[in-house]
Amino acid sequence: MSNGRIVERLSGAHVLVTGATGFVGEALLQRLVAEVPGVTVSVLVRPRGSTSGVDRVRALLRKPVFAALGENTGGTDTLLGTRIRVLEGDMADVPPLPPDLDAVVHCAGDVSFDPPVDKGFITNVVGTRSLLDRLAEIGDHVHYVHVSTAYVAGRRRGTIREGPIDHDVDVEAELAWGLAQREVVELRSREAGLLSGLRAGAERAHRRAGLLRAASEVEERRVRWVREELVRLGTERARSLGWTDCYTFTKALGERVVEDRATHAPVSIVRPSIIESALAQPHPGWIEGFKMADPLILAYGRGELPEFPGAGDTTIDFVPVDHVVAALIAVLAHPPSAGAPAYFHVSSGARNPLTFLRFYTCVRRYFDEHPFEAGARGVARLPDWRLPGAQSVERLLTTSERAHRLADQVISLAPRGERTRDLARRLDQQGSRLEFLRRYLDLYREYVEADLRFDDTQTLALFESLDPDDRARFPFDTAVISWEHYVGEVHCPAITAPIRRLDAARRTRKRPSRTRLPAPETAAGKRSAAFFDLDGTLLSSNVIETYLRMRLAELSGSARFAELGRIAARVPGLVRAERHDRGAFLRSIYRSYAGARLVDLEAIADEVLTHHVLARLAPAAVRRVREHRAAGQPTVLVTGAIRPLTRPLAPLFDHIEAADLAVDERGLCTGTLAASPLVGEARGAWVRQWAHESDIDLAESFGYADSYSDLPLLDAVGHPVAVCPDVALSRHAARRHWPVVDWPSPEATPRTLSPPRLTSRAKG
Amino acid sequence: MSRPGFVLEVDDRTPPMLVHEGEGFRLESFPLGSRVIYPPESLPAIDDVDEAITEALLHPVDADPLPSQLRAGMRLTIAFDDVSLPLPPMRSPDIRQRIIEAVLTMAADAGIDDVELIAANALHRRMTDAELRHVVGERVFRSFHPQGLLTNHDAEDRENLLHVGLTEEGEDVEINRRAAESDLLVYVNINLVPMDGGHKSVPVGLASYRSLRHHHNVRTMVGSHSFMDHERSHLHHSAWRMGRLLAEHLNIFQIETTLDNNVFGARYGFLQKPEWEWSLRDQASMLAMRRGLALAPQRLKHRRFHDLRSAYGLTGIHAGRVEAVHERTIAAVHRQQLVEVQGQSDVLVMGVPFLGPYNVDSTMNPILATCMGLGYYFNSYRGRPVVRRGGAAILYHPLAPQFNQLHHPSYVDFYEEILSETTDPLVIEEKYEKQFATDPWYIHLYRTSHAYHGVHPFYMWYWAAHAMDHVDDVIWVGADRRAAQRLGFRAATTLADALEMASATVGSDPSITYLHNPPHLIADVR
Repeated sequence: MSNGRIVERLSGAHVLVTGATGFVGEALLQRLVAEVPGVTVSVLVRPRGSTSGVDRVRALLRKPVFAALGENTGGTDTLLGTRIRVLEGDMADVPPLPPDLDAVVHCAGDVSFDPPVDKGFITNVVGTRSLLDRLAEIGDHVHYVHVSTAYVAGRRRGTIREGPIDHDVDVEAELAWGLAQREVVELRSREAGLLSGLRAGAERAHRRAGLLRAASEVEERRVRWVREELVRLGTERARSLGWTDCYTFTKALGERVVEDRATHAPVSIVRPSIIESALAQPHPGWIEGFKMADPLILAYGRGELPEFPGAGDTTIDFVPVDHVVAALIAVLAHPPSAGAPAYFHVSSGARNPLTFLRFYTCVRRYFDEHPFEAGARGVARLPDWRLPGAQSVERLLTTSERAHRLADQVISLAPRGERTRDLARRLDQQGSRLEFLRRYLDLYREYVEADLRFDDTQTLALFESLDPDDRARFPFDTAVISWEHYVGEVHCPAITAPIRRLDAARRTRKRPSRTRLPAPETAAGKRSAAFFDLDGTLLSSNVIETYLRMRLAELSGSARFAELGRIAARVPGLVRAERHDRGAFLRSIYRSYAGARLVDLEAIADEVLTHHVLARLAPAAVRRVREHRAAGQPTVLVTGAIRPLTRPLAPLFDHIEAADLAVDERGLCTGTLAASPLVGEARGAWVRQWAHESDIDLAESFGYADSYSDLPLLDAVGHPVAVCPDVALSRHAARRHWPVVDWPSPEATPRTLSPPRLTSRAKG
Repeated sequence: MSRPGFVLEVDDRTPPMLVHEGEGFRLESFPLGSRVIYPPESLPAIDDVDEAITEALLHPVDADPLPSQLRAGMRLTIAFDDVSLPLPPMRSPDIRQRIIEAVLTMAADAGIDDVELIAANALHRRMTDAELRHVVGERVFRSFHPQGLLTNHDAEDRENLLHVGLTEEGEDVEINRRAAESDLLVYVNINLVPMDGGHKSVPVGLASYRSLRHHHNVRTMVGSHSFMDHERSHLHHSAWRMGRLLAEHLNIFQIETTLDNNVFGARYGFLQKPEWEWSLRDQASMLAMRRGLALAPQRLKHRRFHDLRSAYGLTGIHAGRVEAVHERTIAAVHRQQLVEVQGQSDVLVMGVPFLGPYNVDSTMNPILATCMGLGYYFNSYRGRPVVRRGGAAILYHPLAPQFNQLHHPSYVDFYEEILSETTDPLVIEEKYEKQFATDPWYIHLYRTSHAYHGVHPFYMWYWAAHAMDHVDDVIWVGADRRAAQRLGFRAATTLADALEMASATVGSDPSITYLHNPPHLIADVR
């Protein structure tokens, strides 16, 4: 390798950089522009949406690290005209390249470890091949620098040399298979067997809110299944061939594609390990987004990562991004000869290993000294990791997941109330934490368990061959890094900074109250209404209870007990029916009215039920109804209950939509309804129809309901409010940021079935 | 012979005192030197009630005997006190039943066909059928109720109200039309406390909001010292003016009764005996009751108290012209309830029991508890208040913010919407009274359900206005803190804490008086 300054060697060169909007590409672009004045850089950028590639680069150049450069070189536009050129195009279909290129650095790639299998192949194999094909059009003199990853070694163990990975996988066959999978999986996802399984699950949970809601849930689940299946297929295939996952597998196949060019052209393959924030350039701690280890560090700082599967003595191989970039520039300046591809590991593990225990100690010390902002409950407690090994962590996680599933089932059966909702909220929080843990542990276990040593002899040789000035200017000898300094003073502060800014912003921002209802106002020139559900929303009572009251009032003595017994025996079935399908539930209740005279029922309603209903009315609900009225909005009661039950509430509402019992010519109830009960989607449809007829703007209207089965009613209006919601509805409301209110019904009301006894037992 | 009421001074041999607090009670040790006012023991009850009734009807005061006032073809109306009297409700037969039966017998003898019975519930909730049946008895109920001849007064039934005229002070007198247009109106009263009866019966019990607002307001209530003393009560002065106007247009035959102090009966005898006289049996039942209450769920506790029926004995019955009758009635009430007390004290302690006039078979919500303590109990004085001006009132009640939605729908809104804004009676009256009084939903509930009128919680607040004006500090022992704060008061855990808190107002060594009621007492403060 002949010597000379890097700047001189690269003077006048025209370099194409792909992936310039990514982490490494951006750092490389910045460094080339800042430190290698003679270089012209073309960047291959894909237009995104309506933003052209040029605009994306312009946005990139407005970032602080470039803005500083712009001042020296005459502004971003000058920079864009002189030093940087933009080539618009997609990696999957690379446009013709400028004929005067001297070198190409291919940084583009998917950083996700678990891409869907087709995407992995497209990015890492098809994209690379497409670029090389275009490169072949220009000629074999162009130096091609390929950014790969040290982990292409896959599940190999021990020291990995800087050379081709030894395997005999048929790249073409795997590529054809991988690209075909999307279509195959999409087809499979539409098979009846799978769909009926998905539908059964979705309907179990969502049927109450209507079949359409369940159907959209089925489709959501199918799409999710396709995504997960593609990931699973990729991972399985990768593991069956000895790689950790689809990412490293396709990266390795990508190298094979590159090696084809290496037979007749200068090619360098650079394999960084885990790239993290900059040690010094452009400034210590410079990082874009969160990289591999960062979510775990942050979760630990929040006290949410109770244990980790790594062993204390395994090496975790970090390398700062500026070292990677410096190495890339040095490699650029020293092209190998055709037919002898150069391999470089940019890693730290071989000569300056950071063990997992040491890393943990550094992170722990950092958070001990700089904890996250104390929340309402003080600073989070940092878990003490014992690093017990993968298996016991797996056991812990599996047990937690099982417990969570069980708790989730139990909570959906629990009686509703503020406490249940709070439990559900905490359960959901725990659930998403578990999901996070599961995802990251599954993903990273392979890496933290992999006892790999990436030999970097050639990288070191390259470094040592550099002029001393260049060595100072482009340092990439990872042996000089002090991990305590890097982790504790550079990296952790860098990645926690945005979180701390968020915390500070959250503290100053007043959270919108989800329990305070908006004023019942209507925009000028519009007419709005307020729709209320009955059971559980206005009243603490439910259909079974009211039914019992009405029946018991008709019966006497032993008949009363018989009826009570009959109902008690039916309760489990009724509860099941209610959870499954509210319409069927109501029908089975109303069947019991068969043979009763409607006028009698109405008389009983007036005599007995009025008190029963009025005594259970939630005062806050009545206040809200009256507020709407005072604001000039029509109030509408929409209920599946039968009309006689709504009689006491008539003065509060402008319209009451209730179920009518069918009667025969003798005035006896037939046990059926005159029309289908207004439940589920029928409610939404009715609300829309009524609003249309009454010239009501639904977007301005309010809806109040308590149960997931009322979802169509709430979905129909612009201001939905969940009132003492069941768990399913409270979850839905939380997702949609709907207000949730508790309208308690009076508790101390005596609920005896007989009217107040005023005659004495002992006659005085 | 029954023993008169007396004032005990707490010394080191005094046992802990029983203090009521809602649906329960506690035994409290008062600081040495505290005064405890005990009501007189029950006066001897009249043995032959029916004979006393006949006697009163045949030899009325300042009026012709009832039979001579009855003639065929006349229009006769009998009005009677509603469910708010007596407290607790009386065991069957209610004294009103006996009197009404006697009056009806005489009316039947005279051949009168046109008879109606009206519960004089003013703006109180309508009585339920069971309650009406209890008050008038099964026989009367069955003869009159199905035909619609036994009704609750409806103060919002414009058709059935008559504006009789204005008093010399310009006060509207508007009462039930049927009563006003009767040839004879017989009013059957139970004069439980000195506030009741007299011209407070017809002009108030059968009136409308239009008429009531002239005396049920803050100015009148703050000027009534006390409203238990009709001669010094502006409320009563107004009612008396109305009554005199009515007397010019209408023939009223007033029947007033007075009861003894047998509030709790033999079963709970310990509740009306001095603590040091509790027998073993009393102590056992006290212990059993406390244990039971501690374990019982809320609902059971509620039932246990509200099922209580008093075995009141009749101590007097007078009939005839209103004012003459009432003079005798008041004398009888005073005989039963008056206790002479020397001088005022710095602190007045009161235990608010489970029942007041407006929560029969219902919940005593924080507003009703305030009315009971700072209204009725505070005003149970003659001459001067028991506590000095600028002193402190310490009350016992849990003040659980629970409301009976059937009976007190406007109370909930009063509590949530008005008291959260202000607790000043004058501001409340000025800003909100009209809105609540004319609210169609409350009126609907008052007329068709069993709800107190929309304006009723305001009256409860005005009832306490004199006390709020008189004392500088109100502290509730054992109360819900947030509820106490909402009412504009403070809550303490124990009496010692309450006294500590009050020390800023009354110093660290205040004179303390504890009103040991129920049974009812009137402190005659000299």
